[in-house]
Amino acid sequence: MKIIIAGDGEVGFYLAKLLIVEYPDITLIDTQQDKLEFAEKNLGIATVFGDSTSFTTLKQAGVEYANFLIAVTSVESTNITTCLIGKKLGAKFTIARIDNIEYLAEKNSNDLRDLGIDILISPESLVTREVKYILKSPALLETFSLHDRALYLMGLLLEEDAPIVNKTIVETTHLIPYNSFMIVAVHRNGKTLIPTGKLQLKVDDLLYFVSTDEGKDNVVDYTGKKSPQIKNILVVGGSRTGKHIALKLSKRYNIKLIDKDIEKCNYLAKTIPNVQIVCGDGTNIKLLEEEGIETFDAIVSVTGNSETNIFTCLIAKESGVGKAIAMVENTGLFDYSQRMGIDTLINKKMAAANFIFRYIIKGRVLTHLYGVDAKIQEFVIDRNSEITQKPINELNFPKDAIVSGVIRNGAGYITLGSFQLMPDDKVFVFSLPQSSSNVSSFFRQ
Amino acid sequence: MLVHSSGNKITSMIPVRHNKYATLRMLLRQIGGLQILIGFSLSVPLIVSLIYGEIFSAIGFFASASLIILVGFLLYKRFQTSFEPLHRHALIIAALGWLSIAIAGSLPYIIIAYITPAETARQYCQTGADYVSSLFYFKNPLHAIFESMSGFTTTGLSMAVHEPSIGKGLLFYRSFTQLLGGAGFIVLSLAVLGQSNGRVALLLYGTESTGERLKPSIIETARSIWKIYLGITLFSFIYLVVGTYLILPDYSLSENIFDSINHAMAGQSTGGFSTLDDSIAGYNSFKMDMLYLLPMILGSLSLPFYFKVVHEKQISQFWKNLQTRSIFIACIFGSLLLSMMLMKSGIISEPFRIGIFQFVSALTTTGWQTSDVHIWDSASVVFIVMAAMIVGGAAGATVGGIKIIRVLLIFKGLFWHINKYFSTENSIKVVRFNEKRLLPDEMNRELAAAATFSFIYLLFVLISALITFYFMGNNFSITDALFESASAQGTVGLSCGITNPAMSPVLEITYIIQMWTGRLEIIPVLVLLRTILFGTKPKIV
Repeated sequence: MKIIIAGDGEVGFYLAKLLIVEYPDITLIDTQQDKLEFAEKNLGIATVFGDSTSFTTLKQAGVEYANFLIAVTSVESTNITTCLIGKKLGAKFTIARIDNIEYLAEKNSNDLRDLGIDILISPESLVTREVKYILKSPALLETFSLHDRALYLMGLLLEEDAPIVNKTIVETTHLIPYNSFMIVAVHRNGKTLIPTGKLQLKVDDLLYFVSTDEGKDNVVDYTGKKSPQIKNILVVGGSRTGKHIALKLSKRYNIKLIDKDIEKCNYLAKTIPNVQIVCGDGTNIKLLEEEGIETFDAIVSVTGNSETNIFTCLIAKESGVGKAIAMVENTGLFDYSQRMGIDTLINKKMAAANFIFRYIIKGRVLTHLYGVDAKIQEFVIDRNSEITQKPINELNFPKDAIVSGVIRNGAGYITLGSFQLMPDDKVFVFSLPQSSSNVSSFFRQ
Repeated sequence: MLVHSSGNKITSMIPVRHNKYATLRMLLRQIGGLQILIGFSLSVPLIVSLIYGEIFSAIGFFASASLIILVGFLLYKRFQTSFEPLHRHALIIAALGWLSIAIAGSLPYIIIAYITPAETARQYCQTGADYVSSLFYFKNPLHAIFESMSGFTTTGLSMAVHEPSIGKGLLFYRSFTQLLGGAGFIVLSLAVLGQSNGRVALLLYGTESTGERLKPSIIETARSIWKIYLGITLFSFIYLVVGTYLILPDYSLSENIFDSINHAMAGQSTGGFSTLDDSIAGYNSFKMDMLYLLPMILGSLSLPFYFKVVHEKQISQFWKNLQTRSIFIACIFGSLLLSMMLMKSGIISEPFRIGIFQFVSALTTTGWQTSDVHIWDSASVVFIVMAAMIVGGAAGATVGGIKIIRVLLIFKGLFWHINKYFSTENSIKVVRFNEKRLLPDEMNRELAAAATFSFIYLLFVLISALITFYFMGNNFSITDALFESASAQGTVGLSCGITNPAMSPVLEITYIIQMWTGRLEIIPVLVLLRTILFGTKPKIV
């Protein structure tokens, strides 16, 4: 399978890094020679130097044989043009990164599809969606939608006063309402465990759950957390992401947005209704105090600088803000920042790359979690597969992997031991890296 | 030959020299163009006169039209080669243009007054009337200019004491000038001639209308403004004919149609001239009063608003558009309040009928009258002056006054100032106004413009009220003077009786100037004044 990625920026590079493991035939196009050289050296992939909107460059990259053409440069119009030309030249499936949310409206994206762009992604809106989920149920550290609104993956930190601390999972089953959720992974002291019934839960465990839509509240109850109501949000950073978040969330929450640049502030003040814009430095403690930092229920720091975001969130936490979400683009800082007390990390390029990943690897690795060493994979059960004959606990399922939910006819089901799989079920499997190939072969048998 | 042609070449390459009189020539040419237009428009009342067999009026219109077109044509031809108007000339053209229109428009009054024999004029009066036809007041050119200015500026103050006695032709002409003046004569000239270059055209358009561009090109905008304007006038006409027929079935149909045409024109332009001796009160019907509320309100709504409703099918504009909404609210509460004040005073026999009609008439600056304001108590007079006449209708309509949008802006500014003390030092203090968000700088600019204008406006009203006080008759009070002055400045046209053919010429000239400045929102006239005093050179003040 041949994949062409136009734009060797953060998203492009990260995507190439993810994809190279499975698909060695990747070509990167960029207009900056040094970036390409870096990618070539580190990932060992083919590169083409040139403008991706040029016919010659695209042909040089072998666009006529490409299964995927992914345009993720920082310029929207370049991405769109690249996809349009690429499609004409023979690329089978095109993906364009866009900024203008106008394009995401159903009608407009259909028009673009007719023109030849199959999928549009906007990293800003993906991140915004993540933030929206988290703020809706603030006790959660992370949440993803595994499948539309049928199944969710959620991360939660276990605290001392939780009723389930120091109990094994089996001992707590009476607290789990029938088939509403299940624990699929436990992150403890930097290590990820796939739980069995005998695993004892401890303080400071980061638990990952898969839950149906109705089960989401039960998860929060189960870990003994009170779900605080979030009303006031402080957004730091008025870049595209900040603007997007303010725009989308201002209907539901009271939002104050801080940015350093007065021009940007003026622009935002004119374009975003019902959001209070403040011009100033988000790391300036005096300023935060004056803006009444302690009155906020949550802080979302999304400036272009990861360190600033972490620092701002730490100040906010210190001042008693309940929920701190930081945008951290530097993946190396993930572990530290979480240990320092930042509740949730968001990352634009991972969000975008994971989203694209899903389209390419249909039915394979689905997503990577921040800082957690586990994968979620997605399989569809064959018509005459043997595994539909017995319930899950009687199957010889690989170690360090767990069946974590099923989509059957569009509805989500939780797969506890006695669950029996059926043909055409879409199955999600949570596994540690070392057993993921075993899982793949298990479903292929 | 060779020398001659090369010499020619050189002169053609030299830009037009802007000597001392170049500006004047250019202005005269522009005015000439307007005169031609107004001359041709006189053909409409000419036809009306012929229909009613008023041969002397017809001759009068024909003679004035010929004269005006001749003068206009000569000016236009003589100075055709002068340069195109520049940015700074737009306001001067507007101010001078309107003055010249009013003067040219007074010609038919004067000529008809002189050539119509007394015998013919008597036939215009109602049978058995004991007065002389008001036509002869126009033998005094000042009265004629007053009437013409009052017409073109859509004011509605009149020298014709007994309106019907001036003849159908002139009656129609009066209302017709209001129609022309309402949407703006310069806009009309843009729409018809479409000459001037875009930049100046936009400015010219801004001087008498909103300045809001409805279509990408300014000529297109001018045309669509006139289309909408005439469309609503037509609607008002049909509405009034049908309404009058239903309410007063015994009223003669030909009279009904004549009244309705005139009133539709006077109502849509918020002019307020009437074909009846006693304005709308002449119908002596409560239902007729209520019937006439709608044309007034329609006239006071902004034309861009209609454009959005008609062309872009945004019915929601009725409650979303700030000005439209405010006018409805102001009409309801203001008229109720005025009614209650009148009831409290106990002088008026039907306080609600009078209160509602007069408030709407004053707020929309129409000026149809159903009550003698002179006998009102001072509180009611002051209220109608402050809350209705000075405020006026929507910017972008044909109304006068400060305009409701400016008043709202100033109040918004006040709230904004107070609220600023409660937000933190670094927050951007935006203001939401009329579906737009304004940054502090923008808001300050808007506020400064609105406040400056309102201040000058009030100053004009006050100074004129003082002049009125010293030159009016003995049986009037200071509130009457204030009322009359606000009425002239706001191009309203309600009168408490100070305006009449026997008034002092000083006062008459004052009111002419007020109507002129009121229509153009003062500034263009001040610019003209500055040009006359100091020329067009930039100057540090």
